[in-house]
Amino acid sequence: MNLGWNKRGQVAIFVIIAIVIVAVILVIFLRPRLGFTTTQGFSPEKYLGDCIEPNLRDNINKIASQGGYYNPEGFVVYNSTKVKYLCYTSQYYKTCMVQQPKLREHFEGEIDSLIKPKVEQCAMNLKAEYERQGYAVSLSQAEESISIVPGNIRINVIAPITITKESSQNFRSFKVNIKSEMYDLIMTSVSIIDYESTYGDSETTLYMQYYPDLKIEKTKLSDGTTIYVLTNVISKESFTFASRSLAWPPGYGIEEVQ
Amino acid sequence: MAARIWNRGGTMKNNKGIFGIILLFLIVIVISLNLFSVNAIENTVCCEKTQSGLYCQDVPSSECAPNSRQVPTSCQSTSYCKPGTCYDSVEGTCLDNTPQIVCNSNNGTWSEIKPAQCGLGCCVLGDQAAFVSLVRCKRLSGFLGLQTNFKKEITNEVQCVLSVQSQEKGACVYDFEFERACKFTTREECLGNNAGNSTGGNGEFFAGKLCTAEELGTKCGPTKETLCIPGKDEVYFKDSCGNPANIYDASKINDKEYWANVKDKSEACNPSGSNANSASCGNCNYPLGSFCRETTSESAKASYGNFICQDLNCKKTQNGQSYKHGESWCVYDDAGSQGESDNSVGSRFYKHICINGEEVLEQCADFRQEECVEDSISQGGIKFSQAACRVNRWQDCTAQTEKADCENTDRRDCAWNEEAILAIQNGSSKGACLPLNTPGLKFWEGDEAQAVCSLANYQCTVTFEKGLFGGEKCTGGCECLSDSWEKDRIGICKALGDCGPKINWAGQEGYKEGYKIDVK
Repeated sequence: MNLGWNKRGQVAIFVIIAIVIVAVILVIFLRPRLGFTTTQGFSPEKYLGDCIEPNLRDNINKIASQGGYYNPEGFVVYNSTKVKYLCYTSQYYKTCMVQQPKLREHFEGEIDSLIKPKVEQCAMNLKAEYERQGYAVSLSQAEESISIVPGNIRINVIAPITITKESSQNFRSFKVNIKSEMYDLIMTSVSIIDYESTYGDSETTLYMQYYPDLKIEKTKLSDGTTIYVLTNVISKESFTFASRSLAWPPGYGIEEVQ
Repeated sequence: MAARIWNRGGTMKNNKGIFGIILLFLIVIVISLNLFSVNAIENTVCCEKTQSGLYCQDVPSSECAPNSRQVPTSCQSTSYCKPGTCYDSVEGTCLDNTPQIVCNSNNGTWSEIKPAQCGLGCCVLGDQAAFVSLVRCKRLSGFLGLQTNFKKEITNEVQCVLSVQSQEKGACVYDFEFERACKFTTREECLGNNAGNSTGGNGEFFAGKLCTAEELGTKCGPTKETLCIPGKDEVYFKDSCGNPANIYDASKINDKEYWANVKDKSEACNPSGSNANSASCGNCNYPLGSFCRETTSESAKASYGNFICQDLNCKKTQNGQSYKHGESWCVYDDAGSQGESDNSVGSRFYKHICINGEEVLEQCADFRQEECVEDSISQGGIKFSQAACRVNRWQDCTAQTEKADCENTDRRDCAWNEEAILAIQNGSSKGACLPLNTPGLKFWEGDEAQAVCSLANYQCTVTFEKGLFGGEKCTGGCECLSDSWEKDRIGICKALGDCGPKINWAGQEGYKEGYKIDVK
């Protein structure tokens, strides 16, 4: 009998140990998700993403329609929009000089400066939301960094926040991912600029044959300016820029040399 | 004696020699004035930044921004605006013709000659490849979570693409979380030659097998779902682990053999057709105009899954014809003709392109400084049309005195007119070289249009003999009295550019007659 009880006791201990191990494993695997979700299923990352995205999209569309600049200098007005010259020469018969060699970085910088107030506002809204849920909240100054990568625009919001209600939770930064094909549009634009500056023109048909989701509209104005509109036919995002390279004057151009 | 003088400007002389001298004198004056004004404009400086915000432009000093550096020489010769290669060490891209100051101020690395970092090689990205620089390869590999596999010994793009197409693919079986997991990949990635892969480099590779093959005993099974694969045209079945299987074929959804072994495109359903909008076959063919796309509310639906071979071809375009995706063709539908030395004012050439079922148009340069050329290639009875805008080489047509030189299509785009005589000719020989597609001129400003058009001025001397009993008889230059002579002269006038009685691109005539005949 005693032996039987000992065996039962041992089995019970093993079962308890097994349950503890499984629980530890589950905690290990689920910890990252638990860390960013409060008990009521509230996700601060999703909250920030939903708060920032509409403003971000508007700013991206505005900047992308102006050659990657919010307030461009050196532009041509096309369809009532100031389109930045990313490659330009004032002369005839000459190839253009590149005006912005690091387009992606510049684009990121423009977005960063534009969404900064919105990120700060969203961080304050997040704090208010936690307070509404009964948490005591300590929030430091929010900062953000933008990176444009294939398929996404990533915003890393650094906003150290501590929320307390019975226990405390700390968050240092939040990663917000917004789906966007802007990276490919920008890098294709850089490639077109390279053609424009080297050969004076670019063959857009080849790009479109090679990349099935890409549409390039090329409009030549009478002063030799070319407007490029690159569109992703799936996401409908577009990027517009201007170039003036290897321009030809009307006639012999005797009076047109600039 | 009567003199009939063809004159756009209205000057009339009755002596051919005197007229010629005066006309030449006038042309010299006009051109001299023009050249003088050009010299005045050409006094440019290399401006670091213009008032409009553009960098490194050769413009008049007055256009430079305040506090901007300027040197009275071309930008090529300055230190700050010297063009060179700008290297972006983050993206690994190189841009030529970038001024030093523009590159440096944007944290790029500028060099006068192309740096070694810009050297291209073959970047293997799983079963795809890109012909890029090493740093670019690292960047792309990083995005895909792959280790950099850069082959600098491959020196052209075609070789690069072919090198990955020959990679053997199959099921890579490995243990993960006490289960027999599987990934459909290349042998190289599976066996760990390309570290950083999800199999940990400890997989067992089964060439030509799918992860759903029963004999492999993996956790992956067939599903009724489909997917598109980056870099591939076709719709593929998807297994329960998310791996691609064979090309989608509704009739094979329960075929164990089809879910076990890799089938080539030619072994899949209807390999010779485009299968556009087919509900049952996902064997899309990009050259024939179909490509894997997600179905939408407007598109056709597949029997299984959410992807279909979308039809990318263009039906009934502006010219009434149908074209395949990627085809381009020339359009000149403005009033007037083309290639007959009589293009209408304001007309231009257009290149149309068929892209994703949409007809996109691209203008060639204005003032007909570019014309559209078109050709097609045929393979297996399928025609593929390609068009391009290229420079209209009309500039030295009128300087040609020989028919052979005029019609040398390697050098220029001109046509020889046997009957024409231009003002710059001495009048002794007939025949002149004229542009095939006449250039546009800014006739509404400046004197250049007048100088060009005045080449068509012509003086014809007609001699009459008075009869004994009155009346006159034409004895010399009588052809100048005919209507056909007038027509010919109008033709020459129109062939030089936007001169004479032309119509505009919409077919409307001008407000003036466009030419003048003085008889004295």
